[in-house]
Amino acid sequence: MNLFRSEEHIVRWLGTRANGATIPVTKLCELAYAWWGDRIDPNWQPHTRQQNQAILNGLGLTDQFWSLSATVPNT
Amino acid sequence: MDEGDVALRNLTYGLFVELGRAPTVDDTSTAIGATPDDVWAGWQRLHDDHALVLQSHTRELRMANPFSAVPTAYRVFADDRWWYANCAWDAFGVCAALHVDGRIEASCADCGEPIKVQVRDEQPDDVTLLFHCVVPAALWWDDIVST
Repeated sequence: MNLFRSEEHIVRWLGTRANGATIPVTKLCELAYAWWGDRIDPNWQPHTRQQNQAILNGLGLTDQFWSLSATVPNT
Repeated sequence: MDEGDVALRNLTYGLFVELGRAPTVDDTSTAIGATPDDVWAGWQRLHDDHALVLQSHTRELRMANPFSAVPTAYRVFADDRWWYANCAWDAFGVCAALHVDGRIEASCADCGEPIKVQVRDEQPDDVTLLFHCVVPAALWWDDIVST
């Protein structure tokens, strides 16, 4: 999960690796605030997979790449 | 995750922020009034529940996401301290978790050129950067350290 200067840098870095997903840093920042904003709340409660999926979906990250399918909560 | 483990998790995260580093088993056992073995057993359950990540060969924390217990390529200055984040996402997550502005210092994974991003009012000041994730979401926890 890395930062890059441009799409050209991503393509070069990937080389023969399978492509993943690219989002703008502005979207990443939104995602970080939605995902991590409660992490040091003293009353934090575990997130369910559905809650985490809703965060991704709410930011438009709806394709298969962003689908959580683990059987335990992704806290 | 039962209430006792949630309390242990929340205390562990609180200690991480208070100390500015990962708490040890002893730090945590003293703070919670439990034995070190009880803390370690609780941390192992929390690791299995993906609530934190333990080192594979020592009785230490590896991650209290988004914070990293070990040095990484993603440094964040926030709340008057430097922190290590586990990845680019977590670097922004440190600012998000602390609810403060901050400065992320990293580098382009391709060319190594330094990247400095100021986060102010939940917005990055350099909007040209891109984030790339190789591992699909469903597989993140298969190997969270590599992810």
